[in-house]
Amino acid sequence: MADRRRALIWFAALLALVFAGDRVLAWALDQVLVRSHFRFSRLYRGGNDADILILGDSRGVHSFYQPEIEKLTGLRTFNLSYNSMSTRIAEAVLRDYLDHNRAPRLVVVEATCTITEGALAGELRTYASFSPRLAALYAEGHPDGALEGRLFHLYRLNSEFYLEALHYQTRSDQDWINRSTIPPGLRNRQPGLWSLPRPENLEALNRIVTLLNQRGIEVRLVIAPYWPVPVNVPAIANAIDVSVRLVDPQLHALNYAGAVTDPEEFADGVHLNERGSVALLEILHRDGVFAIHSAAPR
Amino acid sequence: MRFNSLAFLAFLPLFAAGYWLTSGRVRLWFMLVASLFFYAWWDWRFVFLLLFSSVVDFALGIFLENEQDDRRRRLLIALSIAVNLGLLGFFKYFNFFVTSAVDLCRSLGLPASEKTLHIILPVGISFYVFKTMSYTIDVYRRTEKAERDLLRFTTFVVFFPELVAGPIVRASRMLPQLQRDHRFRFEQMVSGLTLVAAGYVRKVAIADSIAPLVDIRFAHPEAHNALSLLLGVYFYAFQIYCDFSGYSSIAIGLARIFGFDFGINFDRPYFSRSFSEFWTRWHISLSSWLRDYLYIPLGGNRGGRWATLRNLFITMLLGGLWHGASWTFVAWGALHGIYLVAQRLLAPAWNRVINALRIPALVSNAFLVLLIFHLTCFAWIFFRASSFANAWQVLSGIVSVHGPQLAGLENRGRIAKCTLMVGILLAFEAMAFLPKRRKAVFATTEGEKVTVSAHPLEASPALRLLFIAACIWVVLIFGSFTGNNFIYFQF
Repeated sequence: MADRRRALIWFAALLALVFAGDRVLAWALDQVLVRSHFRFSRLYRGGNDADILILGDSRGVHSFYQPEIEKLTGLRTFNLSYNSMSTRIAEAVLRDYLDHNRAPRLVVVEATCTITEGALAGELRTYASFSPRLAALYAEGHPDGALEGRLFHLYRLNSEFYLEALHYQTRSDQDWINRSTIPPGLRNRQPGLWSLPRPENLEALNRIVTLLNQRGIEVRLVIAPYWPVPVNVPAIANAIDVSVRLVDPQLHALNYAGAVTDPEEFADGVHLNERGSVALLEILHRDGVFAIHSAAPR
Repeated sequence: MRFNSLAFLAFLPLFAAGYWLTSGRVRLWFMLVASLFFYAWWDWRFVFLLLFSSVVDFALGIFLENEQDDRRRRLLIALSIAVNLGLLGFFKYFNFFVTSAVDLCRSLGLPASEKTLHIILPVGISFYVFKTMSYTIDVYRRTEKAERDLLRFTTFVVFFPELVAGPIVRASRMLPQLQRDHRFRFEQMVSGLTLVAAGYVRKVAIADSIAPLVDIRFAHPEAHNALSLLLGVYFYAFQIYCDFSGYSSIAIGLARIFGFDFGINFDRPYFSRSFSEFWTRWHISLSSWLRDYLYIPLGGNRGGRWATLRNLFITMLLGGLWHGASWTFVAWGALHGIYLVAQRLLAPAWNRVINALRIPALVSNAFLVLLIFHLTCFAWIFFRASSFANAWQVLSGIVSVHGPQLAGLENRGRIAKCTLMVGILLAFEAMAFLPKRRKAVFATTEGEKVTVSAHPLEASPALRLLFIAACIWVVLIFGSFTGNNFIYFQF
């Protein structure tokens, strides 16, 4: 009996220690999170006053090199894109941005994020405590994870987002870009078929456009370059155009899928590298994609 | 049921309650039924195969003990081996041998049509077949008494902690422990939980964090540069080590909680200074099984130098095939066979060079540890690759001159995390070097407490409390909760 009594006391001590440590460590690590210069920490800390806001998945990250946009346009730019960020998640992030920061004058959406599934949703738990929208998206796809996050606060910090936040403790992440060149094995690939936009993402894109139009914020939809260009890019662009026309008849996707033709300017088949991004941005700037025509938004 | 599933987290306390509330034969029945439930959670149909294997070897064990005629005894042991290897051969290797034979015929220009069967590999078959087979061989050799209690024997075969992925606990170790009731002991519970917690860190935090990074490199080697592929291979070495040693640690810890001693299955293998040492530290229960039931029956080192080398090579080759029905596993085993043979041939010359140059032991040992680790990593490429073509893609990618550049590494956050995970692993390994204290820790199978040397973690319940809590925090922060299977389940 003595052993069993000792075990009970020991288990009680273990539980107390685990939960106390969980709360104390999570609080300490949260302080590190909110002080980071990682894009989502900056978003929720507030105080950003970008003129141009970029939204998209990894193609948005590596096609829209923020320092180059600022150099070309002279306008403050904030790239909120992130790997595997679907349009549904982008919508939540945009709404949060508008809640916490001064509204931008132009939002550029890399429109192939309408193809992206919700793979990033699993990461959202890290910022879920800052955003009911992200918390809802996370709980929708990960009900068990949401419960675990409520039970153990440390679990919320178990994410790539948190690692990024650690990495960008002392400097901005806005110069994040691929700097490698496409491996030989991918260079000579034949053009293939790419997935078509997902209905729930097209609906989210329509809501984004509606919101931005209501707020007087200009919006551009851009399809960034591929190597090689998928044969069904016109169909992808058409699906986006047909959908978005329901809420804004003037708006359509600007197809730059074949705008960069040198494979040395790609990091892989779907991502530009720094050189490629600079080349694309020069073309976009020349074509007036970053031109802002309206007055400052309401 | 996997150790890293929610179902198991519910199963374990229920098992513990049932186990401690029962005693004697009721407890054995409870262990048997609960273990079969644990196994049936995956696929109930194969429970019958498991029981069939147990009953056959139980009966053959008794016949072998009763029989005095040598010729009949040889027939009985041949029957036992045929049944066990027959099960293994059908469920694990049938399609492999058919497709290999068809490929061979076609390469010789002979007509051959491929007729494979849709066979599901029963989880853990390689482990429980080896366990029961070694039992009948031991009875045949008269080094082990036949078990006359079917309930006890079947419980030995199906006891859930070691059922699906080892360690291969032999009858000589396990059956005596099933002959008496184990009382609840606080020290054993805490010691077992420490191993379980360490096992979860290895599996859920380290191996499963590394897995995606490795998977993508082996799935698309053409999309990665040399440095990226090299990192993939190094990380795989740590992934498979943590995956399997994590499972073993959980299994051994669970057994210890309930009063059973499974021995150890891993002992810091990447610190080995030779391949023979590596195989006394990696999957110890399998390598000692292969030694006792394959290498020694082949003649061991009793037939002269070349026969010894041949026996070593054959043992490793078959050890490779044991892991899976694929030529890449055979290649992995062959590579380890070659390593062992080369070591035997080159060791005297190496020792002469070390002595002649008066190289300090620390330097030569460090060099040997690095050499063995890298050669092991080279062999892992074949173990992990889906085919020879895939292995060749990885190898040619590593030696290609294109882009050995840091800039080509995608997702550096994940690489940083994996590097941190390897750091945690090294911290775990380093704990074995902590100075030891004396402390009464374990109960023997006879129920006596023994005083053993143990490092501070074992010696202090308070430190173990902190260690287990830290393991839980590490799993919460770094763990992957996608429910990845243990790699060795496929074997």
